[in-house]
Amino acid sequence: MRKKIFQYVQSHSDEILREWIELMRGEADERAIQAMSDHMFVKTSSEFVQLVMSNFSDSEQKFNERAIDFSEKIVRLGWPLTMITEGLRVFGKIVERGMQQTGAIDQYSYIDFTTEINNWMFPMYRTITEAYTTSWERTISLQKIALQELSAPLIPVFDKISVMPLVGTIDTERARQIMENLLEGVVNHRAEVVLIDITGVPVVDTMVAHHIIQAAEAVRLVGAKCTIVGIRPEIAQTIVNLGINLEDVTTTSTMKKGVEQALAATSRQIVEVQE
Amino acid sequence: MNMRIPILKLHDCLLISIQWELDDQTALQFQEDLLHKIHETSARGVVIDFTSIDFIDSFIAKVLGDVISMSKLMGAKVVITGIQPAVAITLIELGIRLEEVMTALDLEKGLEKLQRELGD
Amino acid sequence: MDSSVKIINEWDIVAARQLGRNVAKELGFGTVDQARITTAISELARNIYLYAGQGEITIEKVENGAKKGMTIISRDQGPGIPDLRKVMEDGFSTSGGLGAGLPGVKRLMDEFSIESEPGKGTLIQSVKWLR
Repeated sequence: MRKKIFQYVQSHSDEILREWIELMRGEADERAIQAMSDHMFVKTSSEFVQLVMSNFSDSEQKFNERAIDFSEKIVRLGWPLTMITEGLRVFGKIVERGMQQTGAIDQYSYIDFTTEINNWMFPMYRTITEAYTTSWERTISLQKIALQELSAPLIPVFDKISVMPLVGTIDTERARQIMENLLEGVVNHRAEVVLIDITGVPVVDTMVAHHIIQAAEAVRLVGAKCTIVGIRPEIAQTIVNLGINLEDVTTTSTMKKGVEQALAATSRQIVEVQE
Repeated sequence: MNMRIPILKLHDCLLISIQWELDDQTALQFQEDLLHKIHETSARGVVIDFTSIDFIDSFIAKVLGDVISMSKLMGAKVVITGIQPAVAITLIELGIRLEEVMTALDLEKGLEKLQRELGD
Repeated sequence: MDSSVKIINEWDIVAARQLGRNVAKELGFGTVDQARITTAISELARNIYLYAGQGEITIEKVENGAKKGMTIISRDQGPGIPDLRKVMEDGFSTSGGLGAGLPGVKRLMDEFSIESEPGKGTLIQSVKWLR
């Protein structure tokens, strides 16, 4: 029976591919298809169908390698996993219908056929989902590293004054990273005042505020002063409404005011030069 | 095995640079020595430098906090200097804030700060 | 490699944290994590010395899939802790310290578990993972 299926699939491969693409266009997630060009869709589809067919002829190891290659590619293309599982199901259906039409299976051999096609499909399901998830996890962990590299440099702007702009959401892991960068930077740049700019932090909740207060206290321990700048009106509102006590930390609304205060604290000021 | 931390006098200030890891006995001994020295010399200011210290636990922090409050009672202002980033982070995570303490980046800046505070 | 330090007198606290720092350095922890680990060991060893009289700090390297780290185990046969919830509250101290002890250790480490039975002793296990 396995041989029969294989023969059918091989001799009708073009037909199957055409039908598969048509059905998938109708059934699949629209976003996934819109995201790529028509040419790309046909190409990727035919690769997928070839992959499924190669399962007959290739050794297990070779098939696994192919599955991993293919999975990496579709993760990059942004095809969802459902597209793949759905794709396998549709493939099975096409083969079943085709074989019925050509009379390769009848009601007597039908049970035999379903057993065989299940035996064929299930390991493949597993291999492909596994390969897909692995590529996906790798992508995520790479992105996590990229995100960490992005986190918060300390920039010396004047003698004794440094600025740290914070952008994006702050979670515990990032807060730790920020704290380490901040303190190492203060010591390395010999900064006496640090301005932490939170203009780019979308939400300041109790936890974020807690991290900011801790950072300010740690800065004081190493021997510098810390001012939080970029407190927008809505942030001032949430801080007070949440009952967060920021009174021990100096804060200002704009970077400009912060720089002026920092200069004053280090006994300097900006003067206009008269020609 | 009792190591004593040397306390130096400079005009009306006392300078202490802690060079090795503090054990409990040394910390307590230091507390005693410093208070005696303040009494003896009528020092008005104290700078304690921690540049070479890479960890402070809650016991040592307590001894330190106490000696700072005690010095204050005896009329001497204390500035601590050179706390390493790693030490600052662990202290904060332990929940120790050393709130009333003046700090500076290094010994030199600590002395400057003290001089300003003492008003000369 | 597992190694233990018996905590009987004050000097053993120093020995325990030196062992911990060496292992942390060897495993490749950064300076901040080294300070966290050393401080946590110091707090745990001091608790043994102050409350149980004697006990043991054991340092183990751990691996969990791709993650590597170290475990600090603090074990004593002392009086035990009658109210675990209370000692895990910030600011609670029976020794006149800063009360930073156990909750502080929990914050310094990544994982923390405590078992204690009055009259039998206390077992605290905490893990720090390499990042």
